[in-house]
Amino acid sequence: MSFDCSEHLNYKVLHLTGEIDLSNSSEVRRCLLDIINQDYSVIVDFSELTYIDSSGMAILVEGLNTANKKKTSLKIAAANGAPRQVLELTRLDQVFTLVDAVSDVKE
Amino acid sequence: MFAQIEKLGASVIQKFEEVGRLSVFLYHTVLGLFSRPFGFQELLKQIAFIGARSMPIILLSGLFTGMVLALQFYDVLARFGSVDLMGSAVSLSLIQELGPVMTALMVIARVGSSTCAEIAIMRNEQQFDALTCMAINPYRYVMAPRLLAALISIPLLTAIFNLIGIFGGYVVGVFIKGLSGTAYMQTIIDTIIWSDLRMSIVKSFLFAVIIIWIAMGKGFFVHLEKGVSGAESVGRVTTKAVVASAITMLFADYIASSFLI
Amino acid sequence: MTENSQKPSVLIDVKDLNSGYGDRQVLYDINLSVNDGEILVIMGGSGSGKSTLLKNMLGLKEPSDGRVLVHGLDLSNASQSELLKLRRSTGVAFQGGALLSSLSVGDNIKLPLRQHTDLDENTISIMTRLKLELMSLADCEDLMPSELSGGMLKRAGLARAVIMDPKILFFDEPSAGLDPVTSVELDQLILKLRKAMNMTIVVVTHELESAFTIADRIAVLADGELVTTGSVDEIKACTDKRVANLINRSPRDVQIDAEKYLSRLTKGAK
Repeated sequence: MSFDCSEHLNYKVLHLTGEIDLSNSSEVRRCLLDIINQDYSVIVDFSELTYIDSSGMAILVEGLNTANKKKTSLKIAAANGAPRQVLELTRLDQVFTLVDAVSDVKE
Repeated sequence: MFAQIEKLGASVIQKFEEVGRLSVFLYHTVLGLFSRPFGFQELLKQIAFIGARSMPIILLSGLFTGMVLALQFYDVLARFGSVDLMGSAVSLSLIQELGPVMTALMVIARVGSSTCAEIAIMRNEQQFDALTCMAINPYRYVMAPRLLAALISIPLLTAIFNLIGIFGGYVVGVFIKGLSGTAYMQTIIDTIIWSDLRMSIVKSFLFAVIIIWIAMGKGFFVHLEKGVSGAESVGRVTTKAVVASAITMLFADYIASSFLI
Repeated sequence: MTENSQKPSVLIDVKDLNSGYGDRQVLYDINLSVNDGEILVIMGGSGSGKSTLLKNMLGLKEPSDGRVLVHGLDLSNASQSELLKLRRSTGVAFQGGALLSSLSVGDNIKLPLRQHTDLDENTISIMTRLKLELMSLADCEDLMPSELSGGMLKRAGLARAVIMDPKILFFDEPSAGLDPVTSVELDQLILKLRKAMNMTIVVVTHELESAFTIADRIAVLADGELVTTGSVDEIKACTDKRVANLINRSPRDVQIDAEKYLSRLTKGAK
């Protein structure tokens, strides 16, 4: 698993690669919350994410909640395959704003 | 005739098996005391249950025991013209014998029965299997805190029983029989020596182990009781635990007394 | 095309398992394997030995002969740490839930997370609520187990079993004591879990409808023996009497001797 940050327009993009599970989700949490606490809006890029478990989902939920409180936004891009199914199973696909690709975010 | 002997043999073997099982159980429970992370939350809960909530019953029984002892001794001592020894008689009986034994009996009635039932129900509902499958050691998480809580609470309860009993004796001796209060207290201070207190302490720890060990152990193996299941098995095993711990405690009392007096 | 992509990998392997209690043998020479990602249903009537088989597969019971291998690990010979690692990625949903009576539903579900991970308490809380929502138990977080109905207890037990997203899930009698509607919902949940989380699921049951709905393969147990294993269609077409009995649920047809029956009914009447 690895992750890195880039930028798109005035968003920070958190690019996740590989699998997120109990062993590494805390790291991702720290990074995500850091970005949000600096008042950035975030796009979480799932395009190279192959697996995410409930701890990963919980972190995104916490991130979304924090962002909402700060009046910034958190979107998820390119959710496919297993991660998509997890979003649907947990009905979080109705809670998060999902886009097909980072480039689809226009403003 | 042989059938009778067979039956006898079978029940003796069963008893040995049970003692063996309970010994292994105690061993694992003690090991559980030293495993991380220790269940502190559960420990505190159990100290509250075994110790704090037994206070009313200990205070009442201690008081009445002390009062009866005073009446009893007054009668006996008066025949020998030694009523001024009342203080030491009452306190010695309490500290050496009645304190530990009565406290143990009260705790058996209250804590022994409910702990046994609780553990038995956990067994019947597969809660121990669930803990094992979650890789949580049941001895560390459930049994060890109860053992430690008993070792902390019961000696303290015994000490409280002794104190309130001495007070009860004081009340009867001074206010009912007209003895001198200071004389009562003085004889106590003069007579009681460290080995008396040591006996009280050693017995209370010993009884604590016996009570909680038998209560938990019998409950833990409820699924091995033949011929019963469900609620009936819980009832049966609880009764057995109360009886077994009372008898074992009294026997241990005799052994301890013969070594320590 | 490599051989690997054709042959499913075996996750759990039960080899020549013989097991019993004291003098009483319950299982005879059981050979069974569970493949990665499949849903295997173990079916049998009462007394068939399915609970004992489950206990052996969970490592709760030692076999008298034979072995149980999970991820290649022999359960009887595994070290404590190997067993610990395995148990962390295995979830078990017991009949009746087996929740700890002194903890609330929420604390019960959080227990494995608190004991085995150092996840932040916020994360743990959200994870727990996600699972509760999945099981339709959203309002039950602060209730005590004694306040739940039988069906709710089962679902809470399942929530706890899957809280760490295990690779293997065991489910003991999911439908026992549930009404048909809840039972169907539970079946659908099992299927969804496998799909989204790629779980391998072993279900022990005697409910036919559930078995046929969810199973990839069914293993039929009778009198301590493994009668047959196969897909749903294969089992339905099986000609073995014991299997057929189980499937058709027919009370064995008894020819009535009218006179004798009448006299049994009226014995002792004046």
